[in-house]
Amino acid sequence: MSQEPDLLTRRHFLRTSILGAALSWTVPIFVERTFSLLNAEAAETTTQIATGKDHPILVVLQLAGGNDGLNALVPFADDLYYRARPTINIPRDKVLSLDGYVGFNPRMAPLKNLFDQGKLAVIQGVGYPNPNRSHFRSTEIWQTASDADKYVKTGWIGRYFDNCCNGEDPTVGVTIGSQLPQTFTAEKSTGIAMTPGGRLGFGKEADASEQQIFNELNGITQDHDLSGGASIGSLDGPSEPKLSAIEYLQRTALDAQVGTDKIGAILKRTKPEAVYPKTPLGNELSLIARLISGGLSTRVYYTSQGGYDTHNAQENSHNNLLGQLADALSAFSTDLTSKGIWDRVLVMTFSEFGRRVAENASKGTDHGTAAPMFICGGNVKPGLYGNHPSLSTLDQGDLIHTVDFRAVYSTVLNRWMKAPASKILGQDFSALSFV
Amino acid sequence: MLSQLSKEKWTYDTAAHLAARAGFGESPSRLEQWTQQGMEATIQQLLHPDNDTTPPPSSIVPDQFAELREQVRDATSPDEKMQVRRALRQATNQQLYDLISWWTRRMLTTPAPLVEKMTLFWHGHFATSALKVRSPYKLWRQNETFRHHVLGNFATLTKAISRDPAMMVYLDLQTSRSQHPNENFARELMELFTLGEGNYSEPDIKESARAFTGYRIDRFEQFRFVRNQFDGGTKTFLKQTGNWNGDQIIDIILSQPAAAKFISNKLWKFFAYEDADSRLIDKLAGLFRQNYEIRPLLETIFSSEEFYSQRARDAIVKCPVQYVVESGRTLGVNLPGGRTLFAVYQRLGQVPFYPPNVKGWDGGKSWINTATLTFRYQLARQLVLGIRLANEQPAKAPLPSPSAQPSPLAEASPSAQAAPMTQTASLRVRNAVRLPALQVDQLVTEEDRKDPEAAVRKIYARAFQTTPDPQLFDRILDVAKLKPLPLADDAIRDLVAFMMMTPNYQVC
Repeated sequence: MSQEPDLLTRRHFLRTSILGAALSWTVPIFVERTFSLLNAEAAETTTQIATGKDHPILVVLQLAGGNDGLNALVPFADDLYYRARPTINIPRDKVLSLDGYVGFNPRMAPLKNLFDQGKLAVIQGVGYPNPNRSHFRSTEIWQTASDADKYVKTGWIGRYFDNCCNGEDPTVGVTIGSQLPQTFTAEKSTGIAMTPGGRLGFGKEADASEQQIFNELNGITQDHDLSGGASIGSLDGPSEPKLSAIEYLQRTALDAQVGTDKIGAILKRTKPEAVYPKTPLGNELSLIARLISGGLSTRVYYTSQGGYDTHNAQENSHNNLLGQLADALSAFSTDLTSKGIWDRVLVMTFSEFGRRVAENASKGTDHGTAAPMFICGGNVKPGLYGNHPSLSTLDQGDLIHTVDFRAVYSTVLNRWMKAPASKILGQDFSALSFV
Repeated sequence: MLSQLSKEKWTYDTAAHLAARAGFGESPSRLEQWTQQGMEATIQQLLHPDNDTTPPPSSIVPDQFAELREQVRDATSPDEKMQVRRALRQATNQQLYDLISWWTRRMLTTPAPLVEKMTLFWHGHFATSALKVRSPYKLWRQNETFRHHVLGNFATLTKAISRDPAMMVYLDLQTSRSQHPNENFARELMELFTLGEGNYSEPDIKESARAFTGYRIDRFEQFRFVRNQFDGGTKTFLKQTGNWNGDQIIDIILSQPAAAKFISNKLWKFFAYEDADSRLIDKLAGLFRQNYEIRPLLETIFSSEEFYSQRARDAIVKCPVQYVVESGRTLGVNLPGGRTLFAVYQRLGQVPFYPPNVKGWDGGKSWINTATLTFRYQLARQLVLGIRLANEQPAKAPLPSPSAQPSPLAEASPSAQAAPMTQTASLRVRNAVRLPALQVDQLVTEEDRKDPEAAVRKIYARAFQTTPDPQLFDRILDVAKLKPLPLADDAIRDLVAFMMMTPNYQVC
């Protein structure tokens, strides 16, 4: 993970930056708002109140590039699998069987442990009708939860924020990394992206007037903050795409100031309580665990692991990715268990598509369709869900999905987040029972 | 629609608008000159620039590190293998840092800013990442291929890119053979490079993939066609049947109306604004489709009323590369090179030669989020005061700013313990060396220092590239008035940083 640049020391920053001046009148507006007031708002709308102590938390983990589901959750009892993949199959005796038909890639042994402990659910054959095989379009479909032939600007989590969260709090969604996923795109609050150590401020021993001008030019004013809060629960508020570039910059500056300050305070008083693998994903999950245990009022965290676009010589690279995924998730589970908050957290993986059933000439696999999703958490109902797609009845060489990904989203929204799924997704999907 | 901007509407501000969009900003004196010479002369100068005499990056040659690669192959123990691998990775990373610095320096000093801006455009369009390609030579050659065709013909450019070794590695063309065509390139060729999604079918991808077989790369990293790996059979592509080869596939693609529209729209979005009226795009596309010549298309864009309209002003968020280069070019801050520059770009969200995926950078508002904006503001102060370098070994000179003498101070070379490219490189270093602080004398005279208004006016003209907006100007003047007179070097630097830490500085 990156370190704070040596602009000035952190202490210097804290003492002299705009935060010193701004904290007193910006942050308390939503931090210290009384619960009765917030609850009164909630009664009018579907707004959910997060205290940072007891609300359910979702961690969305993107496996970017198209995870080869068949080499992760291997249908080892099916000869068709071995016939389609003569050189890159997972040998039958190496597969960690779950039900006698499918089993995990051996590098996923830590996930097998979670499965055995009853903390992991696997949804098989997840996809959508008329699958698109473009990374970007399919990722967009997953992130916006749209039909394959419809274009939706907002993300499904963004719509959850708009429907259920207080629009004042920018930390309602946190992405680890420097790019916000489309999943978070909302009419109002889009959440924040963070790389540790960032802090917005003029950052100099400036006098109060200078700081005030900096705040003004960057739209960090009391009025601005209040107007953001005034649109809670109303769906026809100013939509983000309509903000001018300058307005958008001002809003981001305000979010940065509020968000990074809260996060900075939490990082000071928390630490990991498990040994994480020294991988980017391990670092990111460790950070998320600290933010959760520190009581940040975030409902949804988002992070991603890249590298799954395995067109070429995939055996080692794909196995390593799955190993890194399993190791990091296992450490995350241990960490949150010892912090006593694993019961409040649900991790959901997704990938834009699975891959072709047959291997290609480069000992890799090309873009395909359905793939499994992994759901873990202290309160998950473990087991295998959905039917494994047939290896004999294919659509142009691709698996035919058995579960619509939006049925999984719907379950997570309704049963875990206690949110109105059909309103957020715009359609009804029958729920699964993994939570 | 798209009628030419009338002569009396050509002002200092329109000249500055063009300078920011078609390049990386210019000095006030250059902008005066453009104002005087008129729009047509200025556009012609941009479209037919003086030769940029920047020499190629000297250390990059084909088949580099062949010895190290052999050593990896021949290593007898896993430990040895790991060690040689690490050495190979470090040597490669160092060259990639050099390549990024080389291009940045070129953008900073070039007499042909539009050529570099368009090279950046095509790099984002035909996105190819060093993360997969690795070879600095292939990536540099691709960069030169863009530059060569930048103002030429789009059909020729697309064909050149289909044979470009870096692209061939990135989209797996070099392993595609007649028995097993790889669809990766064929798909992205249509989806991202020419037609856009929805203008072709899955069978079109499969058929055209067959035409791009037999493309190989030799050991000197040059393109080679291997006939017996090529599928010369009949293909039906976009309803046309024949024994098509790759170039013919590209010709068929470009005969589709969707292609000219797709590129025209992307160029308009890059240079003017988003969500343009479809009639405007149709008109541009009609022109472009005649022969796919890029120069006349750009000429039409840059001389149009719409390009200079209120809607276009301040509508574009500067991409990180522009933020960095323009700060050097117009304000004269000293830019780092090497690994420091890499780390800076990474935290801003755009590393040249490292687009996030084959779609390139999304651009627009996506450049700005809480993390990247925070870093932009931190970086502003660092650049003005002299950025700390990510290593202690003195080696190379910093990138010279065009208006300042290159500093005698040493710049650090990439660290021997360079972080893997997949991780965020750290800017924290021990015993750090700093680049020199901004030379204040380039910006203000001794007289200006005694008069806050004169000083702010000078700096403002460089930072915001326009005649002053009264409200913004007054607020900055308020800051200047807080400082003792005559304005000391640090007070001036403070004002520069202050201007860079406004929303207005992030847009153009």
